Amino acid sequence: MSTNHNNHAALAAAFNKDEPRVEWHDQTLWWVRKKRDIAAAKVPDWEALRDTASRIKDNVLSNLSGYLRQFEEEAIRNGITVHWAADATEHNQIILSLLQKHKVDKMVKSKSMLTEECHLNEFLHENGVEVIDTDLGERVVQLAGEPPSHIVLPCIHKKKEEIGEIFHEHLGTPAGNADPQFLTHAARLHLREKFLTRRVALTGVNFAVAETGEFVVCTNEGNADMGAHLADVHIACMGIEKIIPQRRHLGVFLRLLARSATGQPITTYSSHFRRPRPGQEMHIVLVDNGRSVHLGRKDFRNSLKCIRCAACFNTCPVYRRSGGHSYHTAVAGPIGSILAPNLDRSKYADLPFASTLCGSCSNVCPVKIDIHEQLYKWRQVIVQEGNATAGKKAAMKAMNWVLSNPSVYHGAGRAGRWFMLNAPFTVNNGLNAWWRQRDMPVAPKQSFGEWYKKNKH
Amino acid sequence: MSSREKILSAVAANQPAPRELPPLPSAAPAAESAQGSAMPADLDAQFIAVLESIGGEAYTVSGFARIGTILHEKFPAAKRVISNCPQIQPFAEAASASEDPHTFEDVDLAILPAHFGVAENGACWITESQMLHRALPFITQHLALVIHRRDIVADMHQAYDRIALLESAVAPYGFATFIAGPSKTADIEQSLVLGAHGPISLTVFLLDEQLSDAGFF
Repeated sequence: MSTNHNNHAALAAAFNKDEPRVEWHDQTLWWVRKKRDIAAAKVPDWEALRDTASRIKDNVLSNLSGYLRQFEEEAIRNGITVHWAADATEHNQIILSLLQKHKVDKMVKSKSMLTEECHLNEFLHENGVEVIDTDLGERVVQLAGEPPSHIVLPCIHKKKEEIGEIFHEHLGTPAGNADPQFLTHAARLHLREKFLTRRVALTGVNFAVAETGEFVVCTNEGNADMGAHLADVHIACMGIEKIIPQRRHLGVFLRLLARSATGQPITTYSSHFRRPRPGQEMHIVLVDNGRSVHLGRKDFRNSLKCIRCAACFNTCPVYRRSGGHSYHTAVAGPIGSILAPNLDRSKYADLPFASTLCGSCSNVCPVKIDIHEQLYKWRQVIVQEGNATAGKKAAMKAMNWVLSNPSVYHGAGRAGRWFMLNAPFTVNNGLNAWWRQRDMPVAPKQSFGEWYKKNKH
Repeated sequence: MSSREKILSAVAANQPAPRELPPLPSAAPAAESAQGSAMPADLDAQFIAVLESIGGEAYTVSGFARIGTILHEKFPAAKRVISNCPQIQPFAEAASASEDPHTFEDVDLAILPAHFGVAENGACWITESQMLHRALPFITQHLALVIHRRDIVADMHQAYDRIALLESAVAPYGFATFIAGPSKTADIEQSLVLGAHGPISLTVFLLDEQLSDAGFF
């Protein structure tokens, strides 16, 4: 059972205390969603493209073991060392042993949600390794001692004044300067020194091609490339579901990814790594961490198609108003809410309920994952397995009794209308969760059933 | 049992029944204009418009002399200029591919050839053999890429067809990338800033020897 102090509703309530910030967060992410719409509308065969992407991923999931073997063989042929990690612990241990082998205790890292999932930074810190996150947004939250709140826009929950303060404290920028251009330039200088002096760079992977053994990393900042090309050792970490069959399939996914994420026609850099450069070591860590089990769940395996564009975050009315940290998991938002229960059903029992089931997430998903349907299905699994909270169980029982007894239902409706009309304070108070962020509507004098009886002749 | 065996056998046991790969969308028709001709003109206009919308700049030029002039005027303060285009020297220094990439730290401007551009997204495809060193297109403060005006494909499907062709003609690349505009970020309150870690500016030159420079100089 989820604990009250750490569930989505409680964390969202904390985020909602600052109303102007919630308003800004909501509007900003909706603006990103609108940019996505404009970009998608410019591609005449957009819907066919989504369908193709989804079907390529169907093929990937149906032959994942074959593609993994093929990718491994090709990558080794290209001179890349391939590692396999069954879970987060093994993944972290592999990274640490590579660092130890090279006697290195400092590393630069570009964005990798997988390493967030595995809590790599904390693990390496405990083992005396300094990790510098080089994506600007990730560096901001790292300096603030927080996890990212969005997989594409890691510090979208922060205002520029707060970032100015963080940079003043850690990078020595002038107090009170909150100009994005100035702060970005300060980060550029600060991180350039790190890129030039670190011997090991870790990157994520957007796509890995079974046919050629190459992998593709997409960034706008160029931080993955700055790290990887200046380092003696490049370690790339990927979940096993990131495989695609052939290089030409990249044409489909690269058309969809950035348009869905930010409304750009493509990210600034889409880098194809196939062989280490002379004298460089290149490693790939293939991580399972629950994915092979998830693959066996017929109703839920489609979530493994995700290409991490975050379109479902930006469109979600709940995410936009509750903030990424309220999901208490590395990948937040609607997709995170269907991925997390796979890892720990009791810890993340609250997440499938953090949704209105409006279906907007499924409508924008570039690989057509049935996100809202899976949220609904997870709710049933969670309740059946006894992971729902006591309050929710009691409410569901009461609802079941009311809805299956017509006379009780009509009586309850009449009572509700009478109280809302004559004693509004009985619903407009803190005990009613519906009242907290909204005004209750004025209740009609009669139900439709009553009106119909009177007027049917 | 090793993790590799464990993962592969769990995946094999849990993966669903085989599903066929779908046919890929056919690449956009080469000539979309009503006249059925002038395809390069249409594509380069689209390429330039998209590139400008993502913060890049484009010039259609008759030759390398013109490129040298434009860059000289655009970057008068550039101290260290490196090029992999022999035609552009002595304007730029030629660097050796075997140099330690860290020595490129002070490069102000790099001028590199690329294979082709993509009209739908303003990206250029550049492979390792064209960039002197993998780090150079990223570490330089400003980047200029040179493609032929006719080497613009309509979309990413055509792009990968072209990449396959290139690969059958020359050796496979060890590293290659699409570059679309200057390095950028909007991580601070969604305010767009050009020049995150990589180049602050990107200029793409579209070469067309049949152009006349009369009137330009």
